[in-house]
Amino acid sequence: MRSLLAIEWLKIKRYTTFWVLAIMFTALLFLWNYLNSSGLLKLGGPKNMNLLLNAYKFPEIWDNVAHWTKFFSGLIAIIIIILTTNEYQYRTNRQNVIDGWSRSQFFNAKWLVVFVMALLITLYTFIIVLIFGLANGSSYSDMSSHAEKLFYVMVMAFNYFSFALTLSFFLKRSGMTIVIFLLYAYIIEIIMQQLLNWKIDWKPGNYLPMQCSAELLPFPLLKTLQSLTGQVSHGPSEQTLVITSIIWIVIYYFIGRAKLLRSDW
Amino acid sequence: MKAILSINNVAKSYGPVKALKGVSFDVPEGSVFGILGPNGSGKTTLLGTLLNVLQADGGSYEWFGGMQPDAARRQIGSLLETPNFYHYLSAVDNLEIAASIKQKGHDDKLRVLEKVNLLERKDSKFQTYSLGMKQRLAIASALLGQPKVLVFDEPTNGLDPAGIAEIRELIRQLNREGNTIIMASHLLDEVEKVCTHVAILKKGDLLLQGPVDEVLRSEDQIEIKAADMAALQTAIEGMQGIKQVRPVDGALQLSADGQVNTQAVNEYCIGKGIVLSHLLLKKKSLETKFMELTN
Repeated sequence: MRSLLAIEWLKIKRYTTFWVLAIMFTALLFLWNYLNSSGLLKLGGPKNMNLLLNAYKFPEIWDNVAHWTKFFSGLIAIIIIILTTNEYQYRTNRQNVIDGWSRSQFFNAKWLVVFVMALLITLYTFIIVLIFGLANGSSYSDMSSHAEKLFYVMVMAFNYFSFALTLSFFLKRSGMTIVIFLLYAYIIEIIMQQLLNWKIDWKPGNYLPMQCSAELLPFPLLKTLQSLTGQVSHGPSEQTLVITSIIWIVIYYFIGRAKLLRSDW
Repeated sequence: MKAILSINNVAKSYGPVKALKGVSFDVPEGSVFGILGPNGSGKTTLLGTLLNVLQADGGSYEWFGGMQPDAARRQIGSLLETPNFYHYLSAVDNLEIAASIKQKGHDDKLRVLEKVNLLERKDSKFQTYSLGMKQRLAIASALLGQPKVLVFDEPTNGLDPAGIAEIRELIRQLNREGNTIIMASHLLDEVEKVCTHVAILKKGDLLLQGPVDEVLRSEDQIEIKAADMAALQTAIEGMQGIKQVRPVDGALQLSADGQVNTQAVNEYCIGKGIVLSHLLLKKKSLETKFMELTN
């Protein structure tokens, strides 16, 4: 397993596109949180009202930062798509097998990359929470509540990235995969969710592939707004959402595997 | 001789197109085995199947008498169809990946690059290479770790005449060192020059296979005429060693086995009371034979 990752690292470590996107993600997420927490970015009324400012203290900071990580994680999904579709474009997937990898080794190597990226993004979220939380005068003792959000970030990232990976296995071309991924993530699924939830009581829209993880990390102000307007929604429990996300991940794993083991390369 | 590769009834279709229709043959150890056939005859499909990038619909194959296929591929240096490398990496970095997968040849990178004259460009990115250089790098990658068996699909594709000569010499040299080489080509001339054995494919069928000097032996043809052509044809068809008689342009064209020559034909006809008015030996080129076989 370590050798699979070591070989994937050889493919990545001198790839400029990877570093540009990775640095962009790291910088953007940090900057965005900085702008929010410092009050430079405002959402709200003219004077002192700023809805974004609320939550950079423990424990709310977990909800807030985790949400913004979700918001920017599409960039990392695009990295996954590029790294995977490159193999098809350069036909190096074939070469890896010709040189002696089994097809499932190739497949598992890509899943390991996805897993490691999900871990890294979780770790980075934790670091940001720590920096801004402590800078805003909280102490370590306030930290533990809401820390489960960190686990949800991991679930969300693993779900999003493995979805992107599976799309890449099926579509094979980078441009097309990126466009379809973004269209699905930011438009199609939202429309589907609204349509499904509209008339059906058990709100099936909340169990859609990406939505089930997105629900774990809602925009923190949503709750505030809902309580202000008296429209508290009752979605599935967090536990249900985590299980649904894991089921989707398992489904991706098996359909991707079936596709790669059976088809011509 | 031990077989390094046994292919047994391998079949493969792409939708309605049957690319391989049950091909079987053995590749003996130490041979240069040419897979010859025109474009679209199934050469690359066959090699792709043997290297597990394509899935056969039927049949089986065995490397090294039944070694686990992934382990077997690590013992084989292969170039399939096009050179496949990471465009944004240098030659050395690309070879490092190949060596890591093969689990050997890490200290062999510079040797193989020198062997294909790419040492000076070892740190250039693959995307800056010319077609010929890409092909050379693919050959270098196949040579990593000194595998005992090499699979080359159209190895001289994209090379200039000097490059072609170099690669052919390299193949002969590798063979002299005891390596087995399996090579697909649509160039008869190339197979004739470097191969010891050959299998000829046409539209997915195996037409012929065996040692090159048997399969590609040029057959001579004899052309005869006499006053009574009908009597001549009846008579000559009874002659031993005559395989085929065809009327061509008012003459009879004979395909014969090695025993029969013009003198024997003349003697036979005189013995039958027929005097030949025309007797000609036509040397048939390999090219003609190949065209006949594959068209």
